[in-house]
Amino acid sequence: MVQFVLPRNSRVKPGKSHKAPAGAKNVKEFHIYRYDPDEKKNPTLDIFEVDLDEIGPMVLDALLKIKDDIDPTLTFRRSCREGICGSCAMCIDGINTLACLKPIADVKGPVKIYPLPHLEVIKDLVCDLDHLYAQYASIEPWMKTKTPMPKQERLQSPEEREKLDGLWECVLCFCCATSCPSYWWNGHRYLGPSILLQAARWVMDTRDEGQGERLDDLEDPFKLYRCHTILNCVKACPRGLNPAKAIADLKVLMMERIL
Amino acid sequence: MAMRSALGRARGIGSAKDGFHHWWIERLSAIALVPLTLWFASAVISVAGADYATFSAFLAKPWNAGLMICFICAGFLHGKMGMEVIVEDYVEPRCVQVAVRIFLNIAVYVLGVISVVSVLTVAVRG
Ligand code: SF4
Ligand code: SF4
Ligand code: FES
Repeated sequence: MVQFVLPRNSRVKPGKSHKAPAGAKNVKEFHIYRYDPDEKKNPTLDIFEVDLDEIGPMVLDALLKIKDDIDPTLTFRRSCREGICGSCAMCIDGINTLACLKPIADVKGPVKIYPLPHLEVIKDLVCDLDHLYAQYASIEPWMKTKTPMPKQERLQSPEEREKLDGLWECVLCFCCATSCPSYWWNGHRYLGPSILLQAARWVMDTRDEGQGERLDDLEDPFKLYRCHTILNCVKACPRGLNPAKAIADLKVLMMERIL
Repeated sequence: MAMRSALGRARGIGSAKDGFHHWWIERLSAIALVPLTLWFASAVISVAGADYATFSAFLAKPWNAGLMICFICAGFLHGKMGMEVIVEDYVEPRCVQVAVRIFLNIAVYVLGVISVVSVLTVAVRG
């Protein structure tokens, strides 16, 4: 549903301030969204001063430093710290991205860090992804075939394999989905760029024999056609993918089978 | 209390198996409107400030009346489709949304028919 202001209990208030240790020379401020579900209070924006000389170059390095040495209650997801697991997605300096791939040096002034937009916040920078994962499951992301299992692998020529380039690299971080206004307003029905790119990944796979059913399931004014080509998704993707193109390709296939 | 699974909610009542046509007609009408709007603008300029007799003689030409009707139909159709999408995106709750969409459809068809009949009346009766 369209909302232009945050509900009263979600408005962000000023929070605590943590100064850098005396003698720190290369200090940068990090303004971080904090929310503790146990505290029944509004979220706050805490300020942490971090000495950049003590840490690595990425925003995730600063978050780890804060958690280790300043405030162990700071909560966020991370695993691979190299852009592969997709778990450290958050809104940094106004753009959804992966904290482990975002250089601190790219941000002028204080580094503002919020959870991904328009999702329910569980704690601090951790959002509830249940619905997105359920939408992912709903497109049945596995190979569907009628041909009986061959003795060896199912074959694909190099040219056929190329069709998956730009799709297989997606790490399901949901930076794109949560940057898409259409997904904000209608995410309960619209599948959004992340899931549609995944749907395209299976529709385009020449080994899959379920294209028709897959397109049937996508042909819906909300599931697919809520994409209004706003292109926020393309700007957000930290892996440099183009979900809008994947969506356009799906629409072209819809057209091909009708015209 | 809602205990439905997340997947149950995401799958919901399934796909409408529709959506292509809305999208397609929106594109087609947009494409048609490009030349039609240019023609309409040049037509308006050519009869601007003229008296009624000149204007009705202009509309009495089959080409002009025909293109005028095409322009009106494409314009109303495209406007209706665009408005529908805006209403679907922004109007809540759903009962109000559906009511607005029904009203929009009726309004567009009524106004469209009146406009077309007006063109024909001027073209035929002068
Ligand atoms: S192009 Fe489509 S999916 Fe991407 S941000 Fe826009 S509406 Fe969303
Ligand atoms: S397309 Fe890019 S932004 Fe979207 S989920 Fe995949 S990796 Fe993340
Ligand atoms: S920690 Fe894995 S993508 Fe950032």
